[in-house]
Amino acid sequence: MNNSTDAFLVKHQDWHCKDSFDFEKGGSISEFNLRYETYGELNENHSNAILICHALSGDYHCAGKYSQDDKKSGWWDNVIGPGKAIDTNKFFVICSNCLGGCQGSTGPESINPKTGKAYNLTFPQITIKDMVDAQYRLINHLGIDRLHAVAGGSMGGMQTLQWAIAYPENVKNIIALATTARQGAQAIAFNEVGRAAIVQDPEWKKGHYEQGEGPKVGLAIARMMAHITYLSDKGMESKFGRNKKQNPDNQFDVEFEVESYLRYQGESFVNRFDANTYLYFTKALDLFDLHLKDEKLDHMFSTIKAKCLVIGFTSDWLFPPDQNKAIVNSMLRCKKNASYAEVEMDFGHDSFLVRAPELYTMIETFLHE
Amino acid sequence: MNNDHNQHKSDWTEIRRKTDFEIIGNWIEPNSQILDLGCGEGELISCLEKEKNVYGIGVDKDTEKVIKCLKKNIPVYQDEVQSVLKNFPDKFFDWIIFSRIIEDLNEPGEILKQSLRVGKHLAVGFINHGFWLNRLHFLFKGSRIINSVYTDPWHISQRTNPFSLKEFEKFCKENEIQILKKNYLSSDWVNSQTFFPNTFAGYAIYKLTQ
Repeated sequence: MNNSTDAFLVKHQDWHCKDSFDFEKGGSISEFNLRYETYGELNENHSNAILICHALSGDYHCAGKYSQDDKKSGWWDNVIGPGKAIDTNKFFVICSNCLGGCQGSTGPESINPKTGKAYNLTFPQITIKDMVDAQYRLINHLGIDRLHAVAGGSMGGMQTLQWAIAYPENVKNIIALATTARQGAQAIAFNEVGRAAIVQDPEWKKGHYEQGEGPKVGLAIARMMAHITYLSDKGMESKFGRNKKQNPDNQFDVEFEVESYLRYQGESFVNRFDANTYLYFTKALDLFDLHLKDEKLDHMFSTIKAKCLVIGFTSDWLFPPDQNKAIVNSMLRCKKNASYAEVEMDFGHDSFLVRAPELYTMIETFLHE
Repeated sequence: MNNDHNQHKSDWTEIRRKTDFEIIGNWIEPNSQILDLGCGEGELISCLEKEKNVYGIGVDKDTEKVIKCLKKNIPVYQDEVQSVLKNFPDKFFDWIIFSRIIEDLNEPGEILKQSLRVGKHLAVGFINHGFWLNRLHFLFKGSRIINSVYTDPWHISQRTNPFSLKEFEKFCKENEIQILKKNYLSSDWVNSQTFFPNTFAGYAIYKLTQ
């Protein structure tokens, strides 16, 4: 049984694939690493595996802690763990850092074995499809032919859709949260502002900065701005209001709590995230579009076999409910077993990461055999 | 007292459910594509899936009910009834089902017309507000009736839009909606009632097309 006083302890692993990887938009790398974590036990039939896909700034550490004293748990610890909605007593849960990432998987800051130098901008352009194709190889390596489910929100949600489309025989259920079948103009616009902040920082040096250096100011600003798009007017108002932090040293020093919060978000992000990966991943998001040339989405979903649950959040204005509904509408026109559920929460796009008993029940019920 | 009341209420729910299931279930052909608007916990679709191998989609706005549908493994769409019809092409569904939902919709006439675009047939079941006891009650008591059909007094009720068989059939005629079948049920919602139905029928189910 889950004892709440004992932390659920986890550790990460690395899988080094010696085979080359060809990217969707061209280019290849001769070998790659994926860093991942697993929780729970794979059953005898290898039929209880659930893959979790992370969002833009997420990583492989989605549940548990590394030690009893660890202050922070994985990013979806409220959903994943013993006795939780994605129950690690029942399921074997896998989460890997996406290819192109900067938290242990091969990405722009990794050393190119051919040159002995970091790839930086010589890393091939990456897409959501590439991320999924790399995950597919990891799943095979782990001896799993068919996943019980793939689940994820935002960029992770796009990956779940891509899984259902690209590997219909290998995934039984998908859960996509706060996501879209195509990145819209507003979302592209926000990503572009973030990228502009990075590439216009002189320390970016056309992507060829040394490890530990780089466009820290630009990346922090990109993160601050993006973070606003993950929240909502109402959510920010109730969390911060006009609360003041301190007496500022000068008139433009941090004065309001919300300013302090955003600066903290920006600064802490710089310490854990590579600016080039941020450029690559935001571009991968912007390129994501499941519509074919005739603007139709239905063709893409006509061959999926997975049962799908898409969950939208009322206050999400980055990937609003209508974009989530569009996915399900298309699947239903293709006569698939697809469901749309909506959770009323004030936390904006990030609602899917917040404690929400309703959401837990939906996920748990859907995953139930 | 309260328990008795609730027990009575749930017996009635059971009877209504069976009424709809039996009549609508008999009309629907095997392997049909159906849309159940206001599907509740998804019992009808779940039942028709098993018995007639239909492809059914439920629509409900209530989270608890949506979760019950997920549990039954049927496709469910959480939204307002009036928002979903535009998502489907002409005559996509063989059947669109309105089981005791019409009274709760805004501008139900518009929704019925849209449904006739998306669906080949509609099954519409509703309570006949023209039932004689309702009339007498208001005439003599000057207040609306509270019974097993209209369970709640006005101050704890949702907005609702009761109407009679006569009004419904008038609407169909005016809009050239064909009534292919109709079942008038007496106040027990079980036996047929064809004698002055607008006065003596408690419940009616129609099969419509255009």
